[in-house]
Amino acid sequence: MNYQTESSWSSYNMPTRSNTASGGDPLQRIERLASENAVVIFSISTCCMCHAIKRLFCGMGVNPTVHELDQDPRTGKDMEAALTRLLGSSSAVPVVFIGGKLVGSMDRVMASHINGTLVPLLKEAGALWL
Amino acid sequence: MASHRVGETGLSDSGPSNHHVPHGVFHGFNAPSTSFINQEGSAFDFGELEEAIVLQGVKIRNDEAKAPLFTGRPAATLEMFPSWPMRFQTTPGGSSKSGGESTDSGSAVNTLSSKAEAQFEPESPISRKASNSSDQQAFDQKHLQLQQQQQQQLHQEMSNDISRTGPSQNQSAAKASQEKRNGAGSTSEKQLDAKTLRRLAQNREAARKSRLRKKAYVQQLESSRIKLTQIEQDLQRARAQGLFLAGCGNLSSGAAIFDMEYARWIEEDHRLMAELRTGLHAHLPDGDLRIIVDGYVCHYDEIFELKGVAAKSDVFHLITGQWMSPAERCFLWIGGFRPSELITMLIGQLDPLTDQQLMGISRLQHSTQQTEEALSQGQEQLQQSLIDTIAAGPVIDGMQQMAVALDKLGNLEGFIRQADNLRRQTLHQLRHILTVRQAARCFLVIAEYYGRLRALSSLWASRPRESLMSEDISCQTTTDLQIVHQPSQNHFANF
Repeated sequence: MNYQTESSWSSYNMPTRSNTASGGDPLQRIERLASENAVVIFSISTCCMCHAIKRLFCGMGVNPTVHELDQDPRTGKDMEAALTRLLGSSSAVPVVFIGGKLVGSMDRVMASHINGTLVPLLKEAGALWL
Repeated sequence: MASHRVGETGLSDSGPSNHHVPHGVFHGFNAPSTSFINQEGSAFDFGELEEAIVLQGVKIRNDEAKAPLFTGRPAATLEMFPSWPMRFQTTPGGSSKSGGESTDSGSAVNTLSSKAEAQFEPESPISRKASNSSDQQAFDQKHLQLQQQQQQQLHQEMSNDISRTGPSQNQSAAKASQEKRNGAGSTSEKQLDAKTLRRLAQNREAARKSRLRKKAYVQQLESSRIKLTQIEQDLQRARAQGLFLAGCGNLSSGAAIFDMEYARWIEEDHRLMAELRTGLHAHLPDGDLRIIVDGYVCHYDEIFELKGVAAKSDVFHLITGQWMSPAERCFLWIGGFRPSELITMLIGQLDPLTDQQLMGISRLQHSTQQTEEALSQGQEQLQQSLIDTIAAGPVIDGMQQMAVALDKLGNLEGFIRQADNLRRQTLHQLRHILTVRQAARCFLVIAEYYGRLRALSSLWASRPRESLMSEDISCQTTTDLQIVHQPSQNHFANF
């Protein structure tokens, strides 16, 4: 698992400081972050379901990139709000992006794993080699 | 006691054997002072009295034709010493009777009998009344026996004074005892009579006591039965309202509602199972069978939905498996069955499968195992986090701590939802991999499997356990309620 540290957060914030207040910005950041790696998980460090989803990917042999929103002092809250709006559910996390595309929360990930679509997706994104 | 002795000895012989009622009646009358000395060592032998009553009653009947008097008050015949001085306490009833009738033999008997009755009152009124009713039969029997044999003799004695009827009464008594003895030989007539009478009296006493015990027991049974029906009615009313009264552990309304819905779901499950079975045996065309199979999948979707609603109101009820049968609860995993276990159970029973299908099933088993592992680890982290919150050392703000703990507990609902989601996905995927007929067989196997687990729970609960018998009797209320509760639990399937 790759955890993005705070320094990398700040480095990303620099060029777009003027747009921090706008609603679309967090979403753009999310998209940008999501496309950087094959498997990207937005999480909160204390969330148990996030822990479960992390364990699920690790158990499959995948190395996901995890962004802990509670450890981002400046934009974490905004991104959390944006994710909530994106998913349309009460909880923002965990959210999984594979190959830059939104997969969804735990139930969607689980459903795709059970019906056998998750592994091909992971392979396509280059997260799994078999 | 003196009065008792009086009544007793009044009937007894002045000689060593004191069971000659007729003797006592008349000998004692002749020599009242000596007869008083003679008494039994043991408790009052009512049997003697009975004999006297019988014989005197026979006499009275023939004498005065006072049958109603006799039947109404058998003890009335106890009055055998009309002219005896009143050495024992007299009751108002007794004295009034004696006053009413004077020298008439019947009335004389009445007087003493009523007095004697009054004397016996404090001893055991219940036994007296019982004995009176039971003695009535004895009297009647003896009466019939004696009457047939001694009719003429008694008629002769009718005109005699009581004292002079002694010998004839002796003869009748002797004949009565002879009848009862069944012709057994003995040394002297008098001794035989005494032994026989004593034995008879003791038998009567024992019979009376056992009748009393039986009566008391029956009354106890009746009251228990009434109480039981009342409790059952209460239970039915409470169940109709969807609540369980105290004594069974209080279920929240959400839990009770879910339990009721689950019970209905079980019944529906039985019905659908029967449909699947008949559909398979009837070799229905795939189109028709598909409808049944899809109906069964919807049936499962229904219970997962119900569980989702119930998890919002009472998560502990679901996650602890209280709604399941005990045998199913053994295999509890986050509020239901473990999907990988279900697949393992099914693999051997789904043959024949194509290679593709086998691979699909194997992949399904693998992915369910991985997901189960992930969810279990997530739940473990939740538990650890909860422990850390509650067990935190010096508590600065108790309410804050509790608020945080409550917040974390709220995540349980999420885990149940995800676990049920996994179960639903597994069943849907099974349906997807298998053909219609295979799926029908598969779901039939699943239904039967959980049905057997439920049946196992029922059998286990009702197996004979001697060590617990006393508990069952003493804790009737709770046991009853548990028994009522268990049948609904035993029909629960594991999801």
